[in-house]
Amino acid sequence: MELLEVKNLSKHYKNFDLKNISFTLPKGYIMGYVGANGSGKTTTLNLITGILKGTDGKVHIDGLSREENEQAYKDKIGYVGDESYFPDHFKIKHIRVILKDFYPTFSADKFNGFIRDWNLPENKLIKDFSRGMKVMLMFASVLARDTKLLVLDEATNGLDPVMRTQILKLLQEYVMDGERSVIFSTHILSDLEQIADYIYFIHKGRTVLYDAKDELIENFLLVKGESAKIPPALKKELIGLEENAYGFEAILPSDKAELLGSAFLFEKPTIDQIVIHYIMSAGK
Amino acid sequence: MRALHFMKIDYMLTRKQMYFMPLIFVMAWVVGMGAAEGAMSLLVTCSYTFFVASIFSTAPFGYCVGKNRGFLLLLPATVKERVAGRFLYGLSFVALLGILCAALWGVYALMGCELPLWTVAIGLCELAVGILIMALEFLFFYLFGEGKENWQYLSNIVRIAPGMAMFFGMSYFVGEIDEIQSTTDAGTGIDLEAMAGKFMQAGVAAIVASLLLTAVAAAVCVKAIGRRDYA
Repeated sequence: MELLEVKNLSKHYKNFDLKNISFTLPKGYIMGYVGANGSGKTTTLNLITGILKGTDGKVHIDGLSREENEQAYKDKIGYVGDESYFPDHFKIKHIRVILKDFYPTFSADKFNGFIRDWNLPENKLIKDFSRGMKVMLMFASVLARDTKLLVLDEATNGLDPVMRTQILKLLQEYVMDGERSVIFSTHILSDLEQIADYIYFIHKGRTVLYDAKDELIENFLLVKGESAKIPPALKKELIGLEENAYGFEAILPSDKAELLGSAFLFEKPTIDQIVIHYIMSAGK
Repeated sequence: MRALHFMKIDYMLTRKQMYFMPLIFVMAWVVGMGAAEGAMSLLVTCSYTFFVASIFSTAPFGYCVGKNRGFLLLLPATVKERVAGRFLYGLSFVALLGILCAALWGVYALMGCELPLWTVAIGLCELAVGILIMALEFLFFYLFGEGKENWQYLSNIVRIAPGMAMFFGMSYFVGEIDEIQSTTDAGTGIDLEAMAGKFMQAGVAAIVASLLLTAVAAAVCVKAIGRRDYA
């Protein structure tokens, strides 16, 4: 059963176009939404949350679109951004009051538990929180209620490794009941390596890759060797060819492996390597 | 119900300015006392109070800019509820200061000060103008500047200019009324007391009209920002 369905989502700006983004995310899974800066990741996530209005396309969460019932739609979403989205001079008590007023499933006990466990200061203004505290407060506010979809926009960037590990654990726990899903954009691709089930790779507003993570890794090879030995037929197929004084490195679709012969080294790439080589190839 | 919750959020956002309200009201009273006497001083106090109300009622727009708005935009509610909440905040804020003015009126009455009915009617008109200025400012903010950063100068002008015009207009008007009253006392001019009933009707009509126009302004705001990003 699909929890998130995105169909032909488009957004037109003066200097940027997000074009025909389509994917589905089943219940109980985590999707990594990756791409370079300015590729359209935040735009897509903001279209999903409804903060931005799309030029075209549809988004359904658990079968419901924003146009059908805006309140119920937004109620299903928990969003954590790269920066605090709380009014600066609010304190935790103000956030608690608002969550209680607007979300019927909000549990003050659960929220207070997170605040206590993560040592978040009750009497400080949010503007005086550290970045880590702000991120944890955003997590507390979404995990203390019953959401269906967590939308994370580079939420782990700039956090220390302990905090990041803690968050990744939280995300895995979140989807554990098989009823909820996470869409997660990040520059730290090793995080995705750990927890993502699906990868969606976007570049300059267009879809580049979209597949299950394990499939994606299976579908490519990381090839290394001497640049001078690359035959023209192979060179045509290499993605993101990077040459230096010691040789070359590139990605090759697995179904073209027969072109390699015995002159080159190859291995399974990481998501990081696939994405970097694709970005390099797109930049050329 | 959600509109009321949004109104509550605006009061939380502007909680610091609420502490200054009694002080500002005392200032308005002092300004009134310095400008005129008796009922006329009350009219000046009211116009100063509504001038201040027109500035402070727009404060939530200043607190909700840029990324700070994200949390509020993600709340499960419609644009209509969000805008209605903001207008309820503005109305309740002006009404709160209106109640303070009415209370001062009551204190003067208890002290035996002569308060002709037509001055009460003018007080109602001032309240109506205060509501109208608030509605027009909200309309301007929603249409041109909601959530925008770096437009402080223009927003300050929009906040201050209409209320200031009302205050100085009212001060001039009080002077004119004083003159009319002196001719009435001499038995040669317009009898303001005789027309008090009509003045009261006009005052109530002005309040009703200002409320209707506020509702229209809110509807225009909903329509205008409904399809906008970050709304």
